[in-house]
Amino acid sequence: MKRQEKEEVKVEKGKLKENIFLFLIIFFFFTFTSTFTYAQDREKAVSLYKESVKFFEDGNIDKAIETIKEAINADPNYPEAYDHLGYMFLKKGQLDEAINAFNSALKINPRMRTSKTGIGSALMKKGDLKGAESILKEALILNPYPSMTHYVLGLVYEKLGDYEKAIMHYKEGIKTYKVRIGKE
Amino acid sequence: MEAKKKATAKILPLLLLLFSVFYLVTLPVSALALLQTGAQAPEFALKDIDGRDVSLSQYSQKKAVIVLFWSTWSANSPKAVKRFEEFHRKYRDRGIQVIGINADNQTISKEDVENIKKFLKEMDVTFPVILDKGLKTFHDYGVIALPSTVVISEGKITYEMPGLPLVGTEDMFDYLFVLAGETPKKKIEPRYVPHHDAVANANLAMRFVNKKMYEMAYPLFRKAIEKDPKYMLPYVEMAKLYNVEGKLVEAEETLRKALSVEPDNVVVTGELGYILSKAGKIKDAMYILERIVKLNSHAPIYYYYAYVLAKNGQMKESMNAFDKAIALNPYEPMIYLLRAEVYENSMMLKEAASDYRKAIKLILKIRE
Repeated sequence: MKRQEKEEVKVEKGKLKENIFLFLIIFFFFTFTSTFTYAQDREKAVSLYKESVKFFEDGNIDKAIETIKEAINADPNYPEAYDHLGYMFLKKGQLDEAINAFNSALKINPRMRTSKTGIGSALMKKGDLKGAESILKEALILNPYPSMTHYVLGLVYEKLGDYEKAIMHYKEGIKTYKVRIGKE
Repeated sequence: MEAKKKATAKILPLLLLLFSVFYLVTLPVSALALLQTGAQAPEFALKDIDGRDVSLSQYSQKKAVIVLFWSTWSANSPKAVKRFEEFHRKYRDRGIQVIGINADNQTISKEDVENIKKFLKEMDVTFPVILDKGLKTFHDYGVIALPSTVVISEGKITYEMPGLPLVGTEDMFDYLFVLAGETPKKKIEPRYVPHHDAVANANLAMRFVNKKMYEMAYPLFRKAIEKDPKYMLPYVEMAKLYNVEGKLVEAEETLRKALSVEPDNVVVTGELGYILSKAGKIKDAMYILERIVKLNSHAPIYYYYAYVLAKNGQMKESMNAFDKAIALNPYEPMIYLLRAEVYENSMMLKEAASDYRKAIKLILKIRE
């Protein structure tokens, strides 16, 4: 009886080992494939992002929007793509769509300073100058390269008729501007 | 152990310097690169008015490439386009290529394109004319007036001329005729080309300036001057740097040193006028700027003169001079910065804010 029990325990242990082994294989397989797929999706999204930037620079905004939407489909967790989409909507004057896109970027990366500046620009264009002022001040704290944020704040104060503050921000924007690699 | 420490202490700063130099040298060419004889001509690859690709490198086999920056709205551009069209028709088969780079606007609209096409048709232009989207090439070449001409041979700038001055233009065409194989009408003096080590040092210094690493820039400017005392650019740029740091005495000294080498240099004289005005020496500034403004049509001379006039209380004359500078080069942020300062000092804050906005838009290259 004891021997039979021992053998049963042995069989059970073997099965457990087999299951753990199988689980590990499945776990590593899925981890590897999902990481691989994620990397592939991100790579595709980055390539589409670059393509969209090129269309944008050539003045073809509609094609640029179409391409950046493809990038978002390829990788829905790519904050720069939403940010770029926001700026294109801003350029087209579709202000609510721009704010939505910037908010999507901020949901993924709450420190996305260019998106905060983008929301500030959109609010300013919508006439919500106080709202714009508030979010731009927030962006200014986050931003180690604040020239663009100072510029938009300057615009807000100019519209508010506070020329002293507008001048101060324009001057700061010029002072803090630094030639550097890549975009702000 | 002690010796090892000493050796490390000696090597570390050297490695740091080497790293900094490597880092800066590998940066892309700055958009603030200055136009200068002897410098490498920045490459451009743009679309022509009919959408065809045109690049500088595609003409690398030519004896020389003449790049004419022009716009439909600048007063002297039609004259320049006409002269170069005549030159092109006569000498296109002699290995000299004329390229026109249009700088009508930062963003070229369909209406702009139609307007440019109409202009070219009226002028019967046959050389390629390309559109400088975002004015990148305009800034890469550091153009200070429209029209401006740059002659490039074997990838290097061999001649540059801002504006279309009466005497200078004929000298430049004499140079071009000789390049095309004609006998010169008068004896042509060999053009001054700065020492290549001096150019390299000055370029590196400029990169440090652009990165706001001023302490690294000063010794390089001094080295450039030491290598070639006739090379005016490092004097001017070093004086500008002193000015940024509020060291007006050093700025004045540097410019006066440059003028002791080349007393008639227009750019140096203009900068000296500006520094003197900032130092409150208004009479001296007026004296030298009044003299050169009559002889030259460079935008910087006009805006420095305008600034001094304002400081001298001649507001109306100042505004006229600013307008002249804008007519020559509306993409120069310094014009709006100085005029903004003038407005601000006169408590015209609305106007000042508007000009600071124009300046920052140009500096950040914001396209609406």
